Amino acid sequence: MNAEFKLFNISKRYGQREVLNIDNLEIGGGRIYCILGPNGAGKTTLFRIMSLLTLNDTGKIHVLGEEVTWQKNQVVRLRRKMAMVTQTSFMFEGSVYYNVAYGLRVRNTPAAEERKTVNESLELLGMMDFINQPARNLSGGERQKVAIARALAVKPRVLFLDEPTSNIDPASALDIERYIQYINKEMGTTIIMVTHNLFQARRLSEEIFFMWEGKIIEKGESEELFEHAQDKRTRSFIKGEIVF
Amino acid sequence: MDVIWQGIKEGFLLIIAMDPELVQITLLSIQVSVSALLLAAIMGIPLGTVLALKEFPGRKTLLNITYTFMGLPPVLAGLLVFLFLSTSGPLGYFQLMFTPTAMITAQVLLGFPIVCGLTARAVMAQPQEVFDTAATLGATRRQASWVIIRESRMGIIAALTTALGRLIAEVGAVMMVGGNIKGETRVLTTSIVLETRMGNDSSALAIGMVLLLIAFLIMLLILSLEKRTFKDERRIQIV
Repeated sequence: MNAEFKLFNISKRYGQREVLNIDNLEIGGGRIYCILGPNGAGKTTLFRIMSLLTLNDTGKIHVLGEEVTWQKNQVVRLRRKMAMVTQTSFMFEGSVYYNVAYGLRVRNTPAAEERKTVNESLELLGMMDFINQPARNLSGGERQKVAIARALAVKPRVLFLDEPTSNIDPASALDIERYIQYINKEMGTTIIMVTHNLFQARRLSEEIFFMWEGKIIEKGESEELFEHAQDKRTRSFIKGEIVF
Repeated sequence: MDVIWQGIKEGFLLIIAMDPELVQITLLSIQVSVSALLLAAIMGIPLGTVLALKEFPGRKTLLNITYTFMGLPPVLAGLLVFLFLSTSGPLGYFQLMFTPTAMITAQVLLGFPIVCGLTARAVMAQPQEVFDTAATLGATRRQASWVIIRESRMGIIAALTTALGRLIAEVGAVMMVGGNIKGETRVLTTSIVLETRMGNDSSALAIGMVLLLIAFLIMLLILSLEKRTFKDERRIQIV
């Protein structure tokens, strides 16, 4: 299978500080991938570059089989094959329906199809009862479910999850983990997630990329990496000796 | 105190009696200030959004000039319009001095920087997440910009109400370019000045009450356009 993402010599600086420097990275498709690493390792920057929200300073990036030229139309076309859920799960002012329908509206989806897709997405996440409620009045867990429903409504090929359960209670977190697995296995969506939760990373991911000071220092199958990490920094992080 | 009570009483009587002259003055006040506000909004909201979102050389200077002009003295705005529209001015040919058009022009000069500057502040106050969320859901730049404006609408409404407050209560500019001509360019604020100069303090106060009522009704209309009332406004709960 062709890689969904290929990155060559990608770097990014903020002022004098280099936050990302990746020689070569390929991420395939159809699996749950996890990017691990302490704070400041460059996970979010890598995430933002892959989801075409931040421009890389150097290097080339291929997304879903295309080299990214950052031409306006191409960026929008590629972004429309992906979706993202952030840890704060920002909600637009308006109802849950408005939020879930947003991605469909910007694609000029006919009203009947929009209604059907919104209902399906909310039903899948068990959030139909909230459809007409103001989205900003929801609890953290409810918001996160609506954010996932909103992302699913546009039927993405790749779903980015940035700390999807960091601000919510354990019961809701487990619920969301189940949905993530369902979306991957039943809908075939590639999932790329960033998490600080090692248990969650082990439970969910099939492949792990471990980042340190802007570089990917180790990658491999999830179980293999948790059991037999080669790099001592990875081992320390997995053992909990390096906390964030 | 007698003058104040007398003024309040007269104010009620004026409102109830619907005096034709007062009605005409009130309608002209509304026409001038609302027209100026609409023009200021048509120009100020898009320009404020561009100043907030678009990076280009001179952006900060333009923003600083806008903020400075938010405090433009009405008399100075009147003077500028006067210099352009007077018979010896570059636009004197159009003979617009002492007409409602001149008054609207002067008020646009006062309202535009307020709408533009406060819109820019409201848009700049939005978090990066608004764009990110819209973009990752497939919005084009234009669609994402629109959603940023939508998210800023409380701030933009505040910009419009602030501008209206300044325009409806303003006297220096309309006096200078309108001339306070009875039946033609006399508005509520210039009437108050006239009545005060003539020593009719209670009448001046009564017209002031009408002015306040009109301002309140227009503000209410603007807020109801946003389907929000003072009651529904989000508040920080301090317990």
